[in-house]
Amino acid sequence: MTLWFVRGLRRGVVTTRYPARPEESARFLPGPPAFRPGALTRETAGRLAGACPSGALRLAESEGQADGGALLFDVGRCTACGRCAAEAPQAVTSSGAFELAATSRSVLIKEIPLRGRNDDTGRTA
Amino acid sequence: MTPLDCFYIAAGAWGAAALAGLLTGRSGGGLRACCALSALGGAAAAAGGGWSLLYGNTPVVSLGTATVTGGPLQLQATSLAGVFAALLGFVAVAIACYAPRYHEPSPGTAVYLAAYNVALIGCLAVLAAGGMVTFLVAWETMSLACYLLILRHPRDRGVARGAFWFLALSEAGFLLVVAAFVILSSKTGYTTLSGIAAHAGTAGGGWRAAAFLLALCGFGFKAGLVPLHVWLPEAHPVAPADGSAFLSGVVVKLGVYGIALFAFRLAPPSGTWPGLVAMGGGAVTAAIGILYAMAERDIKRFLAYSTIENAGIIVTAFGAAMIFHASGQQALWALLLIAGIYHVANHGCYKTLLFLEAGVTEHAAGTRDMDRLGGLVHRLPRSAVIAFVGTLGIAALPPLNGFVSEWLIFQGLFQGFRTGSHLTGILIVLAAGILGLTGGLAIYAFVRGFGIPYLGMPRTRSAAVASEKGQPVLGPALLAVACVALSVGAPVVLFALSRTARTVTGVTLGPLLLPGNLTVIPAHTDFAAFSPTYLTVFLVCALAVPLLIYLAGRPRAGSTTVPVWDGGIVAFRPRMQYSAMTFSAPTRVTFDALYRPSVSVSRLSHDDPAGRSGPVHYEARVTPVFQRYLYRPLVHALEWLADLVRPVQSGDVNLYLLYVFAVILLAYLLGAV
Amino acid sequence: MTPEELRETIARQFGRSLHIRTLDTGSCAVCEQEIRLLAAPHYDLHRLGFFFTPAPRHADLLLVTGPMIRAFEVAARKTYDAMPGPKIVVAVGACALGGVYPDDPFTYGTVDAVLPVDVWIPGCPPSPLALLHGLGVAVGRLTEKVRDLPFTAEDDDERIRGAR
Repeated sequence: MTLWFVRGLRRGVVTTRYPARPEESARFLPGPPAFRPGALTRETAGRLAGACPSGALRLAESEGQADGGALLFDVGRCTACGRCAAEAPQAVTSSGAFELAATSRSVLIKEIPLRGRNDDTGRTA
Repeated sequence: MTPLDCFYIAAGAWGAAALAGLLTGRSGGGLRACCALSALGGAAAAAGGGWSLLYGNTPVVSLGTATVTGGPLQLQATSLAGVFAALLGFVAVAIACYAPRYHEPSPGTAVYLAAYNVALIGCLAVLAAGGMVTFLVAWETMSLACYLLILRHPRDRGVARGAFWFLALSEAGFLLVVAAFVILSSKTGYTTLSGIAAHAGTAGGGWRAAAFLLALCGFGFKAGLVPLHVWLPEAHPVAPADGSAFLSGVVVKLGVYGIALFAFRLAPPSGTWPGLVAMGGGAVTAAIGILYAMAERDIKRFLAYSTIENAGIIVTAFGAAMIFHASGQQALWALLLIAGIYHVANHGCYKTLLFLEAGVTEHAAGTRDMDRLGGLVHRLPRSAVIAFVGTLGIAALPPLNGFVSEWLIFQGLFQGFRTGSHLTGILIVLAAGILGLTGGLAIYAFVRGFGIPYLGMPRTRSAAVASEKGQPVLGPALLAVACVALSVGAPVVLFALSRTARTVTGVTLGPLLLPGNLTVIPAHTDFAAFSPTYLTVFLVCALAVPLLIYLAGRPRAGSTTVPVWDGGIVAFRPRMQYSAMTFSAPTRVTFDALYRPSVSVSRLSHDDPAGRSGPVHYEARVTPVFQRYLYRPLVHALEWLADLVRPVQSGDVNLYLLYVFAVILLAYLLGAV
Repeated sequence: MTPEELRETIARQFGRSLHIRTLDTGSCAVCEQEIRLLAAPHYDLHRLGFFFTPAPRHADLLLVTGPMIRAFEVAARKTYDAMPGPKIVVAVGACALGGVYPDDPFTYGTVDAVLPVDVWIPGCPPSPLALLHGLGVAVGRLTEKVRDLPFTAEDDDERIRGAR
């Protein structure tokens, strides 16, 4: 019992200063992905949408526009399982975001622009 | 005109009611006529009883010279019997209002009503008896008539057994009472009760104490003192509800009356030890009575044990009174007499009420088992309110009558230090402690006794469809009104009882008991004081204050009303509630040395250890200690004696001829000598 | 009262002392583990003036996890109704936000189907830091950041983008 007390004194305060100060260790927390629009071809986006088990990634309906449509990413549905990153590592990276609270549900649905259609062939990430 | 004349009217009315019941009881109109006559007799008896409280003792009246009863019928209306007679009359009125809706007109009912009215006459004769023989004849009449009462449905389970226990113990008690009377009358030379009372001193202290102890045991059989009480829980459940009410409300009180008669009039002992015995026996009875009450699921058995408890309280009060008398504390002697008699009146009212309500419940819901009832406050609202008044009274909660009489008893006991002897004082306080335990357990028991059947959700279908249509309400309602009147009108009651005490004991307690402004003082001004009237007013006001605060401070902004937070339970089921036995489980665990519980668990198959193979049968029993360890050995001893004697009557004709020959030979020899 | 006024009131009243009632509507209990860690020394909820309470009558904020299985609907509504106003509902975890379970005969799939949610906290499970941020947003002490996060990264930029 005494040793515990002494050890605690030596170790010092372990409580985080968050939210008064930023928290350094938050970088390593698992969290939702960030996407590289330059590597997101329509075909890649389709594969990502198929790989996501919780339906967080969906292809937006394309209206034949020049920008090639969008990938709808629902941050709320993401479980940070990592399958999208495994499916297309060139297009997906960690976002490092953990302060994700939202006051309305629609704010959590993000539109990730896809690479334009006329750019479908050729360029790689 | 004396109170005795009122008793004559009552006896006449009851005799007419018995005849009317016997002849016409099989029809509805006859039933009502019989009950009307019974009510008339009850009113007369109540009037006579109340009057004799103030009138004092009438002279002894001798009726007739027939030698059939061993002499003329000697009657006297005494002050001591006044409360008991008033109670008898009032209970008779209440039961007469109750019976027409409770009983079905039939030949069995006709016999029952006749027996009931004969029992009423017997009780009145016991209370109005002026002579020893009259008393004993009336006592036996009452016992036998009550035996017939209990046997209303002779073929039902347990009826014959209950009635047999009642009769057997009644006769055993009768023997002891006869012995007590014989001792007193032979030592004093008188057979009238007033004669014995006046010349009690000539009997000698030892004989008086012996007579008192015989009377304590003999009347204790009827009053239900432990261990002589075993007939009560057997006989009360099987008798019809108004029969049980009569037994508990009046007949048990007659046993108490007998003890009071010997303690205060006929054989007041000169030492303290008979009083100590009575007080100790009473205290133990009270505690054991309520402890067994906690283990009962049948409402009537529960109430029977509660009667035992209250009889114990009354006998404790009388015993303590005797101790104070022997120690020279006359004021406390009179106070405890008053307190005991007051408790008799109170208990008669609320116990009768509770038994009548138990009968209503049994007819409405079809069962007496508390664990099959529940939620009756919604199905039987008027009965529930009346039963609640009775429950408050018997739990001795202020402001009702039970509280006033128990307060007086406690205040009398707490002044035990005024006797000179330390040992006596300690024993009196010990008895007060046991009574305190009893009081606490009584509240617990009656929370269970009212809460389980009346509150919560119905546990079975028959409780859910119980209906109040056609159930008697007037009789119990009268008793509930009496309970309230006895408490709010406590000053009036105490005034009348102090006059009684003056007649019986010669002590004028009036100024020491009620010093004017509605306050009651237990005989010594430096001890305690209490005002039942002011307490009632205060409690009513105290309940009104939160209401006023709410009305004045209601939030003006819009507010929402939502259900009470219940833990988010989706659907309540009746089996989620307490059952009667689980509610009293803490008591059974604490006092398991008394209960000696035994549990048996069995299941159909042991294949599945989780019990999914079928229903599990769980049975928990309380050992009937007195039957097993006292009565059964006695009965075995008697049977053993009988076995010894049996060879005498072997059925062998040759042996009988030998007897004839031996007797003739003996007759010749004796004739020759 | 407009939402802004409400938030202001709530921030004023709750920002420094808040009682939280947790409600598990059928989760896998990992969100509960994270919520439980809030009271541990590393995150220490109490230094911010937030407390857990079991009684909805004493609670200001209802912290809901799980996909709102249908069997729990009555209990959830009773808990919400038992809370005196003003009250806040915070939905925690991907299950409560509609991610994991669909709307089928056994679950609603999202807490929003039964209770009116004020703050959504994504994550599976959200870390205690994310929960602290979410609670701060609920009482108006912290600002909502996810609105401005694009969740995109430059093609050749391996640096972490987003909130900091």
